[in-house]
Amino acid sequence: MTTVAPARRELAAPPRLRITRGPALAVVIAGGVAAILLWVHDTTYVSGFGGWLTNAGRITGLLAGYLIILLLALMARVPALERGVGTDQLARWHASIGRYTVCLSVAHTLLIIWGYAVTGHTGLVAQTSSLMLSYPDVLMATVALGLLVMIGVVSARAARRRLSYETWHLLHLYTYLAVALAFSHQFATGVDFMHNPPARYLWSAMYPAVGATLVWFRLLQPLVNAARLQLRVVAVQPESKDTVSIWIAGHGLERLAVEPGQFFRWRFLTREHWWAANPYSLSAVPRNDLLRITVKDLGGHSRSLRGLRPGTRVIAEGPYGAFTAAGRRLRKVLLIAGGVGITPIRALFESIPGYPGDVTLLYRASKPADVVFAQELQDIAADRGSRLEFVLGARGRGKRPDPLSAQNLLRTVPDLASHEIYLCGPPGLTDHVRRQLRAAKVPARQVHVESFTF
Amino acid sequence: MRRVILAVAGTIAGLVALLSFKTHSPVATGALPSAGLPVAGTRSSTPPSSTPASSAAAGPAPARSSSAAPKPPASAANSPAATTKDYTGQAVQTQYGVVQVKVTMKGSTITNVSFVQLTAYDQRSQYINSQAGPMLLQQTLSAQSAQIDGVSGATYTTEGYLQSLQSALDQVGH
Repeated sequence: MTTVAPARRELAAPPRLRITRGPALAVVIAGGVAAILLWVHDTTYVSGFGGWLTNAGRITGLLAGYLIILLLALMARVPALERGVGTDQLARWHASIGRYTVCLSVAHTLLIIWGYAVTGHTGLVAQTSSLMLSYPDVLMATVALGLLVMIGVVSARAARRRLSYETWHLLHLYTYLAVALAFSHQFATGVDFMHNPPARYLWSAMYPAVGATLVWFRLLQPLVNAARLQLRVVAVQPESKDTVSIWIAGHGLERLAVEPGQFFRWRFLTREHWWAANPYSLSAVPRNDLLRITVKDLGGHSRSLRGLRPGTRVIAEGPYGAFTAAGRRLRKVLLIAGGVGITPIRALFESIPGYPGDVTLLYRASKPADVVFAQELQDIAADRGSRLEFVLGARGRGKRPDPLSAQNLLRTVPDLASHEIYLCGPPGLTDHVRRQLRAAKVPARQVHVESFTF
Repeated sequence: MRRVILAVAGTIAGLVALLSFKTHSPVATGALPSAGLPVAGTRSSTPPSSTPASSAAAGPAPARSSSAAPKPPASAANSPAATTKDYTGQAVQTQYGVVQVKVTMKGSTITNVSFVQLTAYDQRSQYINSQAGPMLLQQTLSAQSAQIDGVSGATYTTEGYLQSLQSALDQVGH
């Protein structure tokens, strides 16, 4: 252990463009401010209660119109954002902005009806029907509102547990229809666009721009990559009772510039799998001709992968994820894996640059039979002079001590706060450990989390 | 839950701040149009003219004023004994602004009609008002009543104008 062992990197990723959280948020906020400034610019005077309501309706409408395009942009899987912000963070932004957008759209509709009714001295019902029937394209926009509310309701946390991922995903596709239906009423009735050509051109230009981004990154690029890389399953190897590794070979994988810790959305071209693209992390440092993923049987899709035959063609969308060494600033690294969260951690454990003693891995599993890669991990630890700790036992509940409490973490790793921490596991575990790390006074920016959510 | 409350409160606070900012800013419309019958005797050949009444202020104006309209000489009206009187109509809110009209009557003749208020909530409506306002006034002088065609393309301004004009004429007992 006297030799200095820098990271083993078989595939050097060239530096790629990353848009990190701060700049991304700044752009998002600047767009919202621009939408509000449009209203400020076009409005000379707000008068009376009706005027207040109508103008509040206009502002909420402008914001909703901006945010709904932003929602699509966040889901366009732009590589620079995927690398810099991270897929799970983007999905969380998408979820909260999505909820807010649905609320804004409802507020916009109600405020406009109420405001018009107050200024026109008409009833709410009469005003609603006159808006829908005699204002151009408002009927279509009303249908769009109905769709958005439906999508919001089925995406709510409670409802989603009762739906399968596939149903939820299918219903989510109606967002595109809603965006299309709501498009024209903005320009046909929106005072801010009717008579302000530059605003109209800029606003409508967002649609083809985001549309092209979506089509390119979600549709065309995966197809182009599939044609180039010619990925095929070469082996399926059980790792434990319910976990299986799949080896996938292809040509010129270095062009993908995959970084350890990232994942792909995998589409196995068999009769029962071709339509679903499921996210699985690479569980080994990628080679130029070979990738490995490791999948735990969580039912449905992941169970049937066990029966994949060598030779099956595969389309890989990605690489995605910011759970890589790129965000690291400190010399010492602590990796915490929970259950099948070991897959990206295993790739980082092998590759994250560091000298002997710099890298520590805590691997949490309920029972010894659930541990995968035990031998591989021990080999890497010995080879790199890294520390490996298995944390076994059922979840700490009641009197049973919690092995991942702040106290125990500090006992295992006394200088916890001087570590860059990578945490991956099921959501319950990552949330819990994140709280414990906060209790142990570890600054949040040192903690990198990847959680399995769709 | 805390984030939901924050988002709702933040949105409402932002909206109120924006709206009150715009409520306090005065309308920079400049002069409001008015139209009067030609003063007989002095320049009888002039057609009915639209002139901006520079004294009319923007925004809410005093309900009654007698200074804005030129007083026609006694010979101009059908009855020499008739006196000149101003009638201000009610302020009518439309979707795009507020319209309020004032008519000057001499006997049963409308000798002058002008706007007390003609506000627009946005720039386009302001432009429409500046085109439609003088036309509406002219039509009223010609028709000598509220039975006018109105201005196409300015439906809301026309409707508000007619409502305010009618309420002014109702005071006369037309």
